[in-house]
Amino acid sequence: MDSELVPPGLTYLADNIVSSQNILGVTREQSARWAQGLNLPGESETVLFAGCGYQYSGQLEALMSTIRGIDKSVIGAELPLRFARFQKKLGLNLPEIYSRVLARNADTEAQPLKAAVEVLRKIGVEPGYLAEEEPCCGAPLYQAGLHRKFAENARQAYQKMKSAGVKQVIGIVPYCTHAILKLFPDYIEGYDLEVKHFLEIVTENLLEHELQFPREVRVTYHDPCQLVRYLSMVEEPRQILQAIKGIELVEPDWTTREYATCCGGGGGFEAVFPELSQVLAVNRTRELLETGAEIIVTHCPGCIMQLKDGLRELKVDNVEVLDLTQVIAMAIET
Amino acid sequence: MKKSSNFKDYKKEIMGATHDDRLRLALSRSIKSFRANIKDALEKFPHTIDMAEEVLEIKKKAIPRMEELARQAIETIEENRGKGYIARTADEALKIIADLIGTGKLIVKGKTMTGEEIGLREYLEEQGNEVYETDLGEFIIQKMGSRPMHITSPSIHVPREDVAHLFSKVIGQEISVDSDIAEIVAAARDFLREKFFQADIGISGSNVVTAETGTLYIIENEGNVRLSTGAPPVHIALVGMEKLVPTISDANKVAEVTWRYANYTIPSYVSMVSGPSKTGDIEKVTTYGAHGPKEFHVIFLDGGRTELAKHPVLRQALYCLRCGGCLYECPVFAVTAGHFGDKYFTGIGAVWSAIISGDIEKAASIAYTCLTCGRCKQRCPVKIDVPEMIIELRKSLAESG
Repeated sequence: MDSELVPPGLTYLADNIVSSQNILGVTREQSARWAQGLNLPGESETVLFAGCGYQYSGQLEALMSTIRGIDKSVIGAELPLRFARFQKKLGLNLPEIYSRVLARNADTEAQPLKAAVEVLRKIGVEPGYLAEEEPCCGAPLYQAGLHRKFAENARQAYQKMKSAGVKQVIGIVPYCTHAILKLFPDYIEGYDLEVKHFLEIVTENLLEHELQFPREVRVTYHDPCQLVRYLSMVEEPRQILQAIKGIELVEPDWTTREYATCCGGGGGFEAVFPELSQVLAVNRTRELLETGAEIIVTHCPGCIMQLKDGLRELKVDNVEVLDLTQVIAMAIET
Repeated sequence: MKKSSNFKDYKKEIMGATHDDRLRLALSRSIKSFRANIKDALEKFPHTIDMAEEVLEIKKKAIPRMEELARQAIETIEENRGKGYIARTADEALKIIADLIGTGKLIVKGKTMTGEEIGLREYLEEQGNEVYETDLGEFIIQKMGSRPMHITSPSIHVPREDVAHLFSKVIGQEISVDSDIAEIVAAARDFLREKFFQADIGISGSNVVTAETGTLYIIENEGNVRLSTGAPPVHIALVGMEKLVPTISDANKVAEVTWRYANYTIPSYVSMVSGPSKTGDIEKVTTYGAHGPKEFHVIFLDGGRTELAKHPVLRQALYCLRCGGCLYECPVFAVTAGHFGDKYFTGIGAVWSAIISGDIEKAASIAYTCLTCGRCKQRCPVKIDVPEMIIELRKSLAESG
């Protein structure tokens, strides 16, 4: 029995992970749609770990926007997130919201993943992808303090990957990568998966390529917390961006690198404090806009969602948010 | 369902702060000047960064020995003709102090977070004493009937215009809202001036204490601590036991790193107090009670600290120098100030709430407000891993059911 002290937003994510192996509680089939037509092998020693954040980015955006609306109302987000029955009463039919998103955005979602595959192939890495069989890393369980559940999930995830013949994992979502690289070994005896982040694999190789962005742009880079402060990837994204011709990298005064400000979407915080999380997203977006950049580049699905929301709230429509993988893919093509 | 409604109240408080424009204005001004100042201070004295590593080692060794160091300090302080006490709990500390002070006294008080922790001012007022906070920030919030919102800048949430407005009401001197800050400061100076010399008792905290010589270091800029601990006939100091280090040489390092990371190149004053005032000028006979206090009392507060020191992860909270740097880097604090916290603030405040005040529900609310983004750790001179502590705390909260 878990304690009543865990806020409802986090128990919602946790229940979904335990029941459906993803944070939204939807079917796994939805997650794998992005890879249709890419012909990624389902069995491979090296797999790309796609993660919830990128795979469900459309659904997550829709969910967050709904929850934020409720959180700003007199009801508050606690009850709807705790009781399924309350969701119906409020007209909060989540499965329906998700399927509407799917019908609408099937093509535009998960672009960062498609771009990642494209980049990996360009440098001669052909990753596998477990698709419906990809386990959830369970990071929100860890964040919530539900370590018994996290441990159980980690062991199952490990077994699932092992029985699929996986030896190397290419992580891309910072949270997932950190979990399977740094946390799993503490919970699994004899843990032997070789885990690397996407940037570790591509950076060196990419710098040998001719990289050219389709147009001249001012770009700023937002460091995701988990990537910069937990996985120490400070230089890689900057080396890549600086190597791309046509891109001028401009950074905020103080709040960059290890001192980058969190986008407000960290570790389930957005589910516990939906409205405050949006305020933090706006604050961070403002800091990044002060650089005068036309493109905000980052490398985390959570940050992308938050910064896009920040732009929307600030009613800025001449600046876009792109994942680093998308920028690289655009620069390799030309 | 009681618990979730408490969380709801807390969230309401947090969101209220988030929508407070005056608060946001005051915070953004403070964060901006803090960052400029600390950059300047560390560039001017770059050795501080290595010294901070030494300080971490000093704290790592001293924290498991707190009790022993406190006893050694008390012995030394008593050799110096002062008096030392160990208080196991906040109530014990209050009782010791109340017994020393009694009632109907005029008290001038320097800023002490440990005092805040045990509710010292309110308690002394309840006992029928007249208490004046003399730190400008504390004075402002005392007069506002508010509570500190930052550990080194308690009135960080109040913009200058609001201070001018407040002083006009409480000091009885008209101060225009357009006044510059110097005029506002001068008004507080005039008001408090005579209190220092009328006071029966002066109260202070301390930033670091040496066991070997029984010396209290008190870092300040305003001069209010010098007056509070120098002018009245009695000086009472309340100190958390985690502030103890073995030697003067250790304490010098702790003090320098503390003020540097609190954004000062050098503070105006560092007082070192080891006993009551004395003179030997007449026939070389040592006589106690010259110009400074005749009595000197030091209360070392345990209040859960010795228990906390045994925890393999959470013990890091005791390394905290209370420089306050982390608060300026917390994205949540930047919109809520000390509403994200209790007696102590932000992520590290959750640990203090859980262990020191033992208020598990409050601690849970604070713990789940932390982003675990880790920027505080980056700023911390002794690299306290707040996210690691938060996860550990959540684990014990979540799996306690």
